[in-house]
Amino acid sequence: MIIRNFAVRHGRRALAAPVPLSSLRALSTESTSMRTAVAEPSTSSPSPSAWSKTPAKADLDRIPENFHKFQDYQRQTQSLGSKVQLRYLPDEILKRPPTDATLEDLMAAQAHIGHNTSLWNPANARYIYGVRSGIHIISLETTAAHLRRAARVVEEVAYRAGLILFVGTRKGQTPIVVRAAELAGPTACHLFQKWTPGTITNRDQILAGGILQIVDENDRPLEGFESHLQERRPVVPDLVVCLNPMENYTMLHECGLANIPTIGIIDTDADPTWVTYQIPANDDSLRSAALIAMVLGKAGARGLQRRKDDAENGQVNWETPRDVQQYITVEMQRKAAEIQRARKEAEGEDGKPLREDPLDNETFRELLEPPHLR
Amino acid sequence: MGRHFRPQRVYQTASSFLATNLIPGKAGEAAPAWLKAVESIPPAELLTRPYPIQHTAPNPRAKKPHNIFRPTRITYPEDELRRDFYRDHPWELARPKMVLELDGKDARYRDWSKGLRQPGMPLSGESVVQRQLWLMENTPGMSKQMAYDIARREFYKLRQQEEMERRIAQEEARMVGAYFGKSQIQIGMELEDQTFEAWKAWAGQEIARIEAQRSAAYTSIGDMPDEVVAEDGEEAEAVGAGAMP
Repeated sequence: MIIRNFAVRHGRRALAAPVPLSSLRALSTESTSMRTAVAEPSTSSPSPSAWSKTPAKADLDRIPENFHKFQDYQRQTQSLGSKVQLRYLPDEILKRPPTDATLEDLMAAQAHIGHNTSLWNPANARYIYGVRSGIHIISLETTAAHLRRAARVVEEVAYRAGLILFVGTRKGQTPIVVRAAELAGPTACHLFQKWTPGTITNRDQILAGGILQIVDENDRPLEGFESHLQERRPVVPDLVVCLNPMENYTMLHECGLANIPTIGIIDTDADPTWVTYQIPANDDSLRSAALIAMVLGKAGARGLQRRKDDAENGQVNWETPRDVQQYITVEMQRKAAEIQRARKEAEGEDGKPLREDPLDNETFRELLEPPHLR
Repeated sequence: MGRHFRPQRVYQTASSFLATNLIPGKAGEAAPAWLKAVESIPPAELLTRPYPIQHTAPNPRAKKPHNIFRPTRITYPEDELRRDFYRDHPWELARPKMVLELDGKDARYRDWSKGLRQPGMPLSGESVVQRQLWLMENTPGMSKQMAYDIARREFYKLRQQEEMERRIAQEEARMVGAYFGKSQIQIGMELEDQTFEAWKAWAGQEIARIEAQRSAAYTSIGDMPDEVVAEDGEEAEAVGAGAMP
């Protein structure tokens, strides 16, 4: 429905006299005075019409008054008509990620919708509930069970401070993957563009300029490792979560070569052997990918919280990586050698050391020569 | 690309790497961070084809059943009712349908004993089918055809009400100054006029083309009859002049 004039829609005298009454039609059916006004000829109004290009001074002066009247009428009428509710917002799931996905949630997210029956991979037969409208329907009970298993893996890896990589290279998966990595904490990262082939197998070239940090059990960066960070090899993830394995064969192959466990959303046409933990679900729906990624992200958050709580109590369930350990050892030995040299120089005339020999200290000795290297 | 075995065997591979110690006295490989996690949560079974869920009872008379491992077709009793309804009312398929679900619990908000109008669902063929099914299942002595007729007539009444409301709303709007775009009839007439004008132009061109073809067939002998007449005329004049004394 097209209404020509705001005044017509909203009431009696929304605009002042300059508007010729013949161009208006009466809105209210109660007062008959308006109807007689409609019948008057247009020559009655002396001032120029509101539709003319150059408004007169009187019109400009009336603008504040008219504007207040306009606002009044808006306030009176804005509650009329239907109440349009926003029932579904795609971002809602990213803002309030669910801890677990019920079968109803999975169905509403279209996670049960597979591909045409002629395009299936028979290896996925165990995940399929049946055939409907020419497509395979994935069993949601299977989906839920596999999703919970994958969530436990993510939680455990996050608890043990493993590096988790969330990958979603399809259009629209960027915010999903970023949010999942955000939830899983500082040891999680994301990828939403094409995986460069060789990022694991040829990482010394491809990831050469990457920024790394050495952190303690409370995730606070440590100093004194600058030279190590410049020399060391780039890291590999400890777990890779892929929202579209069909488009990331190279990445999953490299993970297989490097012996890294992977989690992937397996549709009815995907190959389940490409990943370690399959989640049989619809990979073509952003809503289902978001639901699954959020459940996994929340699992990562739980693992992170457990790790933080343990760290506060002084309990650390992860080991320093071997290359960092070796660097620490080498650095300590170098420093000890420096101290010895300095001590010898400082001995001077009487041959007596000016300070206590650090090598006599028990704890320092143990740091220099750790038991497993003796 | 074939079957891949490495992803399934990450734990076994890592354990065997850890177990080997090539240089005695020196520490071997460090355990990766995921090892304990994968140890306690093994991957699921893969590449087996269990007997699928049978949605319809398999044929008991079949001597040798075929495709026993193929997923079966999911059918509901409503399917037949839907087929019948939309065969009888094909234009109901032209009504737009919302496929987005909110929480997936739609069926819990419906009570088909109360009628065709249900919360969160527009009036459609689906309402008729569900109402019909409820009547068939919950009313003693109710046949499929009877239930269909009852549900159908309720549906017609509601659709008529909708039509009336729409018509009156349009009238009311016109009374207070609304104007609408072109009606379907107007659009149809304009399209017809356009097609007719296009046809007229084409027809004119065709006529011209056929005329040109026809006249081209006579071009070579077109001048001769005129010359013969002129010569005769001159001769006749000369004869006439000569004959006169």
